[in-house]
Amino acid sequence: MNTVNYTLINPTTTAKVPDFNGAQRIPTLAGTTLGIIDDSKRNADVLLEELADVLINRYEISNVIWHKKPSASRPADPKEINNLAAKCDSAIIAIGD
Amino acid sequence: MSESNQDTTSIQIVDPINSFEIGYELGWTDGLPIVPPTDYKVSEFLEYSNLSGDEVVGEIPERRREITSRKIAANAVMAGCLPEYFPVVLAASKAMLEPKFNLVGPSSSLGGAAILVIVNGPIIKQIGINSRGNLFGPGNRANATIGRSIRLVLMNACAAVPGLFDRSVIGHPGKFSYCIGEAHSETHWPGLHEERGISSDSSAVTVFAAEAPRQVRAVGDPEAILYSIADAASSLGTSLSTSGSVSDKSVGIRQGEIAVTIAGDSSLWAQWTKQQVKETLYSQIKRSVADLKKAKVFKGDIVESDEHTFIPLLESPDDILLLFAGGEEANFSSVIPSWGPKVASTAATVQIEL
Repeated sequence: MNTVNYTLINPTTTAKVPDFNGAQRIPTLAGTTLGIIDDSKRNADVLLEELADVLINRYEISNVIWHKKPSASRPADPKEINNLAAKCDSAIIAIGD
Repeated sequence: MSESNQDTTSIQIVDPINSFEIGYELGWTDGLPIVPPTDYKVSEFLEYSNLSGDEVVGEIPERRREITSRKIAANAVMAGCLPEYFPVVLAASKAMLEPKFNLVGPSSSLGGAAILVIVNGPIIKQIGINSRGNLFGPGNRANATIGRSIRLVLMNACAAVPGLFDRSVIGHPGKFSYCIGEAHSETHWPGLHEERGISSDSSAVTVFAAEAPRQVRAVGDPEAILYSIADAASSLGTSLSTSGSVSDKSVGIRQGEIAVTIAGDSSLWAQWTKQQVKETLYSQIKRSVADLKKAKVFKGDIVESDEHTFIPLLESPDDILLLFAGGEEANFSSVIPSWGPKVASTAATVQIEL
């Protein structure tokens, strides 16, 4: 049989990740404000409240600002992210379940 | 043998009958054989819709991906579509990439949603979409390949690969193909597209992130049929009757949307408007607090009043996508709960550009 050459259109896509600079690391948590995003999964609040207690008691975090997403499946609202970025020194985002 | 880059792949085929094997080699299939998406077949589809291929149809920002018309055409070719089906695939892709549909949720969730594609309007007859017997079953090229195209777009262009971003626990057969037409021209009821703001003489698709259909085998009397449909729709264990993953706890359960298909002879419903059917169903799709406590959806011990206190599984009658569709021989129905609450994904309708 003869060999026939074909060109196929690739049906897949690849992720295009823009360049970004990560935030500067903070030298200590003592006396700083922590932001926490609760994803609304069952028991996420239990896990994150416990974590906040540990960080306050062991690392002397002085203030915690909470945001709870309306749905675990929705990305966090950029307004809320900007709000946390303006007010917090560090943040925890996590999937609880 | 093949050589790939991001946009094209060069292959050499010895035996054309085995050409579909390239789909397995490159990981492009849903498990079934595909039609190789050759450049000339993809061009034929794009030309049918007067597109260059570079148009961005939508994005999934969370996965940093842009979906062009060329990628959608390639997947439609692979699924076995004809060029005249492509406008439907394109509109359905556009609809599921709308922000309110939040594709990242239903395409990744443990909940295992399939994307139900509901077609309305003159295009149903023009390209031969089935809206009657064997509604969700096999046997019709347009339904089978349009539905399959959407799954291939999800897997290939949207990265919803099983085991990778698609984390379905059980999934369902609709994840291979899930496309139906509504037989609205055979009833006095308005089509779903008309209810959702598209003119009745235009064609449209509605996409709905959904669980599998459950048949309701009730016939003969409208009230009795609706009672049975509502009973099936009120099941424990659907997405609607569970809690969790939403922050609004005022109702205590997630609620959501539900599609309902009603088949048979439309004259049975001559005295009923679509709205009346939806309102009747809405008032009956509910579950007692006692049952929700037994299922541990609600916490706490059951008290006497819990047996008589009911929680609606829907927020509004308009959260029912009511469709006249299915075989003519019997008034069988189906209920299809949404994958999630409306805050996580809402059905989206887009007009088909012809």
